[in-house]
Amino acid sequence: MENKIKEFKHLEKWQGTLANCIRCGYCFEHCPMFHHTGWESDAPRAKIITAFGLLEGEIEPSEAAADKMFSCFYCKRCEAACSSGVPLTEIFTDAKKDLVEMGLKGPGTTSITELYCARCLLCVGACPHEARFYDGKGIATDPAKCQACGICIEVCPAGAAKIENHFGTAKDDLIERASTFLTTHESSKAIIFACNWSYYPELQASVLPESETREKAYEILVNMCGGRLEAHLLMAPFLHNAWGVMAAVCPDGECQHDGNLRAKKIVESLHNTFKSIDINPERVRLVQIPAGDKTLFQAEIDTFMDKLNKMGPIR
Amino acid sequence: MKKIDTTKLKNIVGGHNIKTDPADLYIYGSDSSVHHAMPWAIVRPETTLQVQKIMKYANDQIIPVVARGGGSGMCGQTVPIQGGIILDMKKMNRILEINLEDVYCRVEPGVVDDDLNLALKQYGVFYPPTPASSRIATIGGEIANNASGVRSVKYGATRDAVLGMKVVMANGDLVSLGAHTRVEASGYQLHKLLVGSEGTLGIVVEATLSFVPIPEFRCMGVANFDVLKDAGEAIGSIMASGATPSMLELMDSVAIKAVNKTMDLGLKEVAAVLIFEADGMVKEAVDYEINKMKKICEKHNGQDIHASYDPKERAKIFLGRKKLFPALSKYDDNLASTALADDMAVPYSKMAEMAGKIHEIAAKNNIIMTAYGHCGSGCMHTKILMDTKRKDQWDSAKKAITQVYDYVRSVGGTTSAEHGIGISKAESFKIEKSDSLNLSAGIKKAFDPNNILNPGKLAQAPEDWVTATNLRYSVNS
Repeated sequence: MENKIKEFKHLEKWQGTLANCIRCGYCFEHCPMFHHTGWESDAPRAKIITAFGLLEGEIEPSEAAADKMFSCFYCKRCEAACSSGVPLTEIFTDAKKDLVEMGLKGPGTTSITELYCARCLLCVGACPHEARFYDGKGIATDPAKCQACGICIEVCPAGAAKIENHFGTAKDDLIERASTFLTTHESSKAIIFACNWSYYPELQASVLPESETREKAYEILVNMCGGRLEAHLLMAPFLHNAWGVMAAVCPDGECQHDGNLRAKKIVESLHNTFKSIDINPERVRLVQIPAGDKTLFQAEIDTFMDKLNKMGPIR
Repeated sequence: MKKIDTTKLKNIVGGHNIKTDPADLYIYGSDSSVHHAMPWAIVRPETTLQVQKIMKYANDQIIPVVARGGGSGMCGQTVPIQGGIILDMKKMNRILEINLEDVYCRVEPGVVDDDLNLALKQYGVFYPPTPASSRIATIGGEIANNASGVRSVKYGATRDAVLGMKVVMANGDLVSLGAHTRVEASGYQLHKLLVGSEGTLGIVVEATLSFVPIPEFRCMGVANFDVLKDAGEAIGSIMASGATPSMLELMDSVAIKAVNKTMDLGLKEVAAVLIFEADGMVKEAVDYEINKMKKICEKHNGQDIHASYDPKERAKIFLGRKKLFPALSKYDDNLASTALADDMAVPYSKMAEMAGKIHEIAAKNNIIMTAYGHCGSGCMHTKILMDTKRKDQWDSAKKAITQVYDYVRSVGGTTSAEHGIGISKAESFKIEKSDSLNLSAGIKKAFDPNNILNPGKLAQAPEDWVTATNLRYSVNS
């Protein structure tokens, strides 16, 4: 197939870097998409291979290939873990720019706007990546700029902002998984919502014997960014008799989407609600975990569980 | 290319477990090697019965089937050189049983090595083969390659840990091999034969593995050497002394520079370092082993020898060693680290000469090669760092590899210690095993009469690895 470099003018500069990726696959474990689907073709290495294939003309710029490049939450865990120093998300963004110019836009994880959008422009102002704008007809998203952080979804009062391909990170999905855990484990007490930076993966892709998980007291659910936490999501586990809910987000100044600040406000507001109905507000706890600090994360969970055990169930 | 009946395959595994779009096929056409070839379909079974049905269909239609785990193979073992079905085993990922009383566990092939060790850790035991890629490598892939790693010097390779397995044969039949016991005297020990067969004899759908207690004490030492040969000779002396290291690793100046650059490891930039470790349940016994190895290093001009029980210090060096392969790509921004001629083994007494030979051959061919590895178990790794766009660099790499393997065989060594043969190493493998190739071909025929299981690998691979498949790099003509 003929070399396509001329058509990929943004991606072209990464030709040498794409060779430097030794394709070890150590990025798999850090990717929430790979965790969710289990397909190698959803892992970061797959996007690097796709970028190489597009650039070299070994694969056609198809909708399927574009969908892979546009499916990324930009948590950048893969990038931080890459010992070959490959700036994965910068490469993805440049590939996206070229694909957009060819008329291929995903959707991937790009946020979209439903027709019932009220055009209040809240999402335009809130988008930390300047990806949302009014195009004269309605609210549109620049797919090359969108980093799928989900802040637009959180601020949209009409529920019109959506990420359709959410890879298990949508609010409804998380609520359902929390509910399943709480209703199927007699020992269950808490749900931990963690952003992808505060959580360090334990089991990468394997399933423990049922006997090992029967006595689990808590479940960790990755919601990508603290900015995607909503009061409704944090409250939902209590409908299934959770004793408490913890949310783990990045420390101040370290969240690339400023989602931790939004999470703080929501938890503060919930504390006030809990106080007003005479429930101990400490049943909802927010912790800030520096990137990959597995020890602190576990210590915070242990402390929280100790507190819940002292408080007992909500009566 | 044969037409695949995707409807039939969908009926077996469900539509959500099959992919045929060229964008997906392209991704599954490569692994961590230099090779690339397009499969015809990706099929992801979830049960043994599904694997049996897929194999029956493939055998009836004579369609190649390549089983795939994490895709971290370095010689092209999972690159579908003749097309066919990639059997992605990652969904068969259940740890079925942890039997502490009988000291074994049963797992499905898609279980990730580190995941298994996380599950075992709470019981104070571990599964020891641990290749550097253990965070991604699956047990099935490790069995296929007889994987080993830094701890193999004391605890052995995958073959030593496999007690038994269930295998789906080429025609779809299911057989149980081995047992749940430590010893088995009779018969051909077919489960051991499957280990290292690179998916050419059957599809492993369940494995019974032994594990060992996590030692109470671990102490790691680092010795610096100004002369690479001295470090190599120290390895031979340590192993000949009767010492029992739990890790004995060599890193040359290229490897040291790469890990320091990538991970800020703070190793001294000398000609070579030896990293040695001893473990055990009694501290005095560990001290004894460490002191013994320290003295041998001193005798061979090792300097600034430091040993520590501190888990953080040990973990930092251990992680640095595990990430050495990707780190080598940062040695020089213009050079890529390629997985070529990367895991030969030589007798201990030849370790020093082997390390020197690698550098000598690299200089002669105007490329950069590094010498490192689990030298305590006889394994010497190298990687070729080169400008992959330049065709002349590939020509040089080919010459260098031939020269390296000629030396390895001349001293009684072997082509692959732990990464397997796949496509990249077939040329040397076939020379090394020339008088038993017919015997191996007979075994292959008995297991897989239609030659559908990972065809074109091991002895069936083309002689010239450069033209065997498309290279996954862009090479200027």
